[in-house]
Amino acid sequence: MALALLLAPLLAALVLAIVAPGPRATATSVAASGLVLAGGVALGARTAHGHVVQALGGAVRVDALSAVMVIVIGTVATLATAATGRVLGDVGAGPARRRAREYAILVQVFVAAMLGAVVAANLGVVWVMVEATTIATTFLVGHQRTRRAIEASWKYAVLCSVGIALAFAGLVLVYFASAHAGGGLRGATLDWSGLRALAPHLDPRVTRLGIALLTLGFGTKVGLAPLQSWLPDAHSQAPAPVSALMSGVLLTVALYAILRVKAIADVALGPGFVRGLLVVLGLASLAVAALMVIAQRDLKRLLAYSSIEHMGLIALAVAAGTPLALAAALLHVVGHGLVKSVLFLGAGEVHHAEATTTIADIRALLRRRAALGGVLAAGLVALAGLPPFSLFASEVAMFRAEIGAGLGWAAGVALALLVVVSTGLLRAGRQVLLGPGERAADRVPRRALAPLVAALGASAVLGVVAWPLATLLHGAAGALA
Amino acid sequence: MSGLAGALVDLAAVAVLVIGVAGLWRRDLRALVGLLRVQGLALALVAATTAASEHDLGLGVTAALVVVVKAGVVPTLLVRVARRDPGAREAAPLINVPSSLVLAAALVGLAVVVGAPLHALAPGRAAALAPLGLATVLVGYLLLVTRRRALSQVVGLLVIDNGVALTTFLLTAGVPLIVELGGTLDVLLVVVVLRALLGTMRAHLGDVSLDQLRELHD
Amino acid sequence: MTAVAVALVQVLVVALGGLLLTGLMAKVRARAEGRVGAPVTQPLRDVAKWLGRESPRATAGTALAIVPTVVVATTALAATLVPLAGVGLVDATGADALVVVFLLLTGSLALAVGGLATATAFGGMGASRAMTLSALAEPALLVAVAAFAVPAGSLSLPAMLGHALDQPLTMVSPSHVLAALALLVVVVAETGRMPVDNPSTHLELTMIHEAMTLEYGGRDQALVSLGAAMRLGLLLGMLGVLTVPWGLATSAAPLALLGGLALSALKATVLAVVIALAEVHSAKLRLFRVPELLAAAFVLAALAIVVGVVAR
Repeated sequence: MALALLLAPLLAALVLAIVAPGPRATATSVAASGLVLAGGVALGARTAHGHVVQALGGAVRVDALSAVMVIVIGTVATLATAATGRVLGDVGAGPARRRAREYAILVQVFVAAMLGAVVAANLGVVWVMVEATTIATTFLVGHQRTRRAIEASWKYAVLCSVGIALAFAGLVLVYFASAHAGGGLRGATLDWSGLRALAPHLDPRVTRLGIALLTLGFGTKVGLAPLQSWLPDAHSQAPAPVSALMSGVLLTVALYAILRVKAIADVALGPGFVRGLLVVLGLASLAVAALMVIAQRDLKRLLAYSSIEHMGLIALAVAAGTPLALAAALLHVVGHGLVKSVLFLGAGEVHHAEATTTIADIRALLRRRAALGGVLAAGLVALAGLPPFSLFASEVAMFRAEIGAGLGWAAGVALALLVVVSTGLLRAGRQVLLGPGERAADRVPRRALAPLVAALGASAVLGVVAWPLATLLHGAAGALA
Repeated sequence: MSGLAGALVDLAAVAVLVIGVAGLWRRDLRALVGLLRVQGLALALVAATTAASEHDLGLGVTAALVVVVKAGVVPTLLVRVARRDPGAREAAPLINVPSSLVLAAALVGLAVVVGAPLHALAPGRAAALAPLGLATVLVGYLLLVTRRRALSQVVGLLVIDNGVALTTFLLTAGVPLIVELGGTLDVLLVVVVLRALLGTMRAHLGDVSLDQLRELHD
Repeated sequence: MTAVAVALVQVLVVALGGLLLTGLMAKVRARAEGRVGAPVTQPLRDVAKWLGRESPRATAGTALAIVPTVVVATTALAATLVPLAGVGLVDATGADALVVVFLLLTGSLALAVGGLATATAFGGMGASRAMTLSALAEPALLVAVAAFAVPAGSLSLPAMLGHALDQPLTMVSPSHVLAALALLVVVVAETGRMPVDNPSTHLELTMIHEAMTLEYGGRDQALVSLGAAMRLGLLLGMLGVLTVPWGLATSAAPLALLGGLALSALKATVLAVVIALAEVHSAKLRLFRVPELLAAAFVLAALAIVVGVVAR
């Protein structure tokens, strides 16, 4: 039954085709996202101890890892859809109205595609769904129809399509390997659990080629260097809620695909292969982020590079691959989803209020707009990995697990780069938040800020007590190891 | 696979690759789209021949789908874009044509080296040709990264896609139908999306040369 | 004994055939353009006429004096090695494809040296252009010929032709088709035909081959023209037999050899007519596009090898 709740976004998309843009449409969107969150929690409760929920003749397969992802999707989607009205503003009539409707529908389709990716039992379907997210978000990135937005969405569509095409080639090779598996086990399959069972009998040379392509292909979508160049453009040009969804969950949905692939590769090739790949990609991403954050001039681009940094951190933890490291990585996925969406939505409010996101042009937000400034300040502190927020806890846990897994040197390098990025974040924060100033006349409505405060609160709670997620996260890590 | 079917698959598979390379040579955008259409047909021929000789209905459906989408709808959509500015040519590729052709030859060699394990795993005529699919992917990538025109980039993307499809047909006689359907549908959608973007670009920027898209950088 | 006789006959046929083919192509062009044109035997008559004259030489250097002889000699030697009549005659090792290619290269190198030796602006320009093209065309020719060698696994021309005769299916293999296309492009470039060079022009901006031979006269002129004609005949003959080896004699029976040689001449004639007709309908490529064409030929040839190796 919990699975049925995941259909809510698709239904909402249908409803939104009829309901006129406005408060009622927004309420529909939020309700759908809330239902997804509820479904995720229900699924989590059932799968935390190793149970697997299946449906549609095995085409849908939910274990604890899928449940974690559904919860993150539901949470961020709720936050993002609640801000719909703030983005679209007064839609009036004519083309603006049509585009508002398109926007609302596409967001639901986008969420539905992400859900499809994390509950599908077949890697091929996962691939199709990830590609579907590209299609839905291309329009969302270009929603504002400005020169820059169009440029960003073009780069995004082309680069991600290339990446995803590489992943498909990898998929074909893995399928080929499974069709010619040795050891008497024959059965061409793309089902990830089936592939894991078959993994010891896969031809290592072909599988290695396939896995490398899959990692690189999905890695493009995760925003891992060297194929990260679409990310800052797309995230900075998309409307704030879309940036929140993309950064908060889309990246990690692609990472989810890599997790599934890695589980197969570790059995077929031994843990060394994907580990090596991910360490290289992860450290490269951290390095790129560190370089670009230092002198960053735009708030949203700053946040985008911070996403690359966090994906790099997660990739390193995944590379370590111990259950502890995976659980920490998943906690980081959750925390990053919460905090990054808060910050993107906050940046959207800044853009709304100040008509710019250029860091140098924004001053003294803490004085001039105390509430918004407070949210941004807390968010930046959280993003920089400081206590009490959950990103601090998960970063510490990830580093410890990496050292335990023999990746101490990588953890050391990562820590150094992390310090650079965090310094850059806090410096930008000081620039934007502090300083003398007069209280601004217009105020950001409480209604817009309340969800953000709630999300930050949740992140802080998770940072102190990992309950009730701990069991689920460990269950998810166990499902992979 | 009978001798004739084998020879047909051979010829068509090579044709897919050669057309990809020819894409590096042609500058005329409409000719480029025409090449894409022929490549789609060659690809469909590979699928149809394999389907007929192995009595694989699913692959037959795929072949039909390939004809409709990759040789029909997609090129038609693109040709409409190309038609709006007749005589549009690739101004100056980032790498000149002779160099990129020689580079393509090197990439083909690379693909053959990388693809060697495929043949080792499944000795057979089709698996032996599979590196040509990988080579087409690399050639498409080269096309994509060296061209400045938006439309040429789309063509590069589709050549990559055709290369992947060729690999699929040669290696596994197609992945499960559902994935194949999803994949083909995605290609179609991507092209529709990109075409819509091209339209928006023209409306807002007046041109579809990516030289003008240089605003976003750090 | 037969082998020596056949080799000598081949040289004669290539020389005569080359001259006639040059005339034929000019005639076909003329007809296609609606002119009457010179008779097919015109080049033959020209050469015969010039042979009887003295050679005026502007400079006293030795280079200019020996170039015409070198051009004819290397081409004639190459003509003895290409099996235009039959494949079973000589021990195959001598007739290596590489030797043929390098002999031809020596000829074009000599011509370029001659062009430079005249110390005129045209000669130098022509030599420079010719060498630029040659630097691209020769590797392509080499790779294209090597592509034909892949199925037989031997670079010996009789061996590869013999293999193709034994297994006619290789002739429709993709590798063979690609190699044939590559060789065609190279032959067009090598023989100085359109769309690369326009053989009928003496406009300084467009000529390549003609620019290098402006300074010759009399007997030298005759030899240089003969050399160029032989080159055309030999390359077309080679293209013909490599692409479609059917009809080559596999025994040493004189009649079969004669038939094989006649058939090779016929193939070359057909190719000549096709190329001439194609020339009429194509514009000459701008000089900087020519490297692209040759690079394309190179890639085709490389692909032919790859495909040949992969699909073997």
